[in-house]
Amino acid sequence: MRKKLKKNKAARAALGILLFLILIALFGPMMTPYSYREQLTNEAGEYLSDMPPRIPFLKKLGIASGRATLKDRRVDGLSDTEKYPEGSVIRIKNRYTAPSGTEYCDVVVDYYVYKGVGEDVNFWFGTDQMGRDLWTRLWRGTRVSLLIALIAVTADLLIGTLYGAVCGYFGGKTDLILMRFAEIIRSIPNVVICSLFIMLFGTGIKTMILALAVRGWTQTAQLVRAQFLRNKTREYVLASRMMGASDGWLIFRHILPNSLSPLLTGAMMAVPSAIFTESFLAYIGLGIPAPEPSLGTLLSGAWPVLELYPLQTLLPALVISVLLIAFTLFTGGLRDVLDPSEI
Amino acid sequence: MLKYILKRLGMMALTLFAIVTLAFFVIRWMPGSPFDDPEYSPELVRMLEEKYRLHEPIPVQYFAFLKNIVTEGFWGVSFRIEPTVPVWKVIGERIPVTLGLNFISLLLSLPLGLLAGCCAALYKSKLPDVLISALVILFVSVPSFVAASALQYFLGYRTHLFPIIYRSLGSFPERLHSLLLPVFALSFYPVATLCRYLRGELLENFSEDYLLLARSKGLTRKQVLLRHAFPNALVPLMPVIVPMFTGILSGSLVVERIFGIPGVGGLVTQSIQAQDHFLTISVLFFYALIHLLTVLITDLSYGFIDPRIRLGGGRHA
Repeated sequence: MRKKLKKNKAARAALGILLFLILIALFGPMMTPYSYREQLTNEAGEYLSDMPPRIPFLKKLGIASGRATLKDRRVDGLSDTEKYPEGSVIRIKNRYTAPSGTEYCDVVVDYYVYKGVGEDVNFWFGTDQMGRDLWTRLWRGTRVSLLIALIAVTADLLIGTLYGAVCGYFGGKTDLILMRFAEIIRSIPNVVICSLFIMLFGTGIKTMILALAVRGWTQTAQLVRAQFLRNKTREYVLASRMMGASDGWLIFRHILPNSLSPLLTGAMMAVPSAIFTESFLAYIGLGIPAPEPSLGTLLSGAWPVLELYPLQTLLPALVISVLLIAFTLFTGGLRDVLDPSEI
Repeated sequence: MLKYILKRLGMMALTLFAIVTLAFFVIRWMPGSPFDDPEYSPELVRMLEEKYRLHEPIPVQYFAFLKNIVTEGFWGVSFRIEPTVPVWKVIGERIPVTLGLNFISLLLSLPLGLLAGCCAALYKSKLPDVLISALVILFVSVPSFVAASALQYFLGYRTHLFPIIYRSLGSFPERLHSLLLPVFALSFYPVATLCRYLRGELLENFSEDYLLLARSKGLTRKQVLLRHAFPNALVPLMPVIVPMFTGILSGSLVVERIFGIPGVGGLVTQSIQAQDHFLTISVLFFYALIHLLTVLITDLSYGFIDPRIRLGGGRHA
């Protein structure tokens, strides 16, 4: 199995990317001196909002150099060192004269000097509207999103496996009643169930996990049930039963291990869909509350300033897209390995 | 068959009833009142609450609410979003926009997805297939709101090819033009899913005997694929296409918000945040109803498409 997974280059690359993202989500926020919630100010007490990114060793190449273009500034105001500290103005573009006779232009400034921030202050990905460091927030948000998805999927697996196992193993009336109940929950659309949950318990990480898990387990239950129905009549189960094995022993030591591979693929598919649902809910305004970031709240927070500061949208959008693509590729590879009969 | 449909409809009604009940109690148990407004005097709030009978015990309110629905088909009025307007009128005004958007996306996705799927299967493992498969993975994985933001930024802000937001007051061509970006954003996922399924289905059919026979008679790979395998591959696609509508519908919740489209989607959060109780219940009911209908149609379509599948477990369906 490991050999086969090694052969699938795309799945291998995807696994690498996933591991990298998980690592950076764990350690990224520690790499800066800034916290995810602190609204940073300069010495004058102004918020350092919407700072452009500056990365020390890339600065010389002209990438992430901390420059920004200020539009429609008065030309005669440029010499005012109070407003434009020495060395902040780098280039003047698009000079034009307004009908009133005043000259205007666009100014490229070193935004860090302009804001009066020292050489040693570097925001690698810039800051958001509230003056919070985006590098820290981005990776903390990735961590929060991954954590929510992982816990929700684990809960899905635990509840769904137990539920499905009981249904499939015992069959008959138990199965009928329990599965009817699961079917009713399944038939409620995700949007409805999540909004009801969030209304009931208020926004928060715990509520988000609950809202994701409350419908998710039914899928696992159905999958496990089908596996149990297929496996419970096999000879090895019969043999073990003849030797006096108890129900619990049969369920957990014999049938369940044989149902693991579809369960694993199912779980791997549930993680990206949980990440997706979380950011989806954030986008419609039902996300986790500020200041805690998640990929969804970062995206929805940056969306109003998309035109002015596209980078604030681009970064979380890239992370969530790469994360989801990597999950899709890896799950595809995993499925090929575990269940070669499916296309 | 009829018995089965009736049974399913009965189940559906029960589920809907459960959802409405659940929604009612959850919403009414929430702290606060729809009339929590610093501009309203306590006297006014009391009068308003009495007018809408919000001061009564919750079970009493619940039965009054049910009675109104059953006897008069009246679901209450909106409190805050459009005060005193019956809720279904508020929703009804927005349904055409939402359903229109969704149908256009679906209609656009179908031919594109089928075309891409055929193309990928025809040139299996060659450049078009590799290219299409890569795009499929991209489109399946990238969430619709990210796609929407990207389209809005690059085609809207940067190149000014399309309007950034929906022009609800413009002429018909203008409205259609401004609807294109949201339609694209919503279509990525369905196109990719369709393409993936069709490709798999076609390739699976390809190893069947009847295609081998057709090939041995001298038909080319292309002819066999399009004339023989394609119609057969369409059959199992039906259950994929119908639920896609629900997917597009929930995707449009966000896309409507991004492009400022005055559809039903915005009502979900607006009504929750404004504590517009009856409106929330009705909007949730609307989404549940559409979802259940698509599930029902999907299940029924199995029987129509393949008579070997018997529905309901009767002796003869």
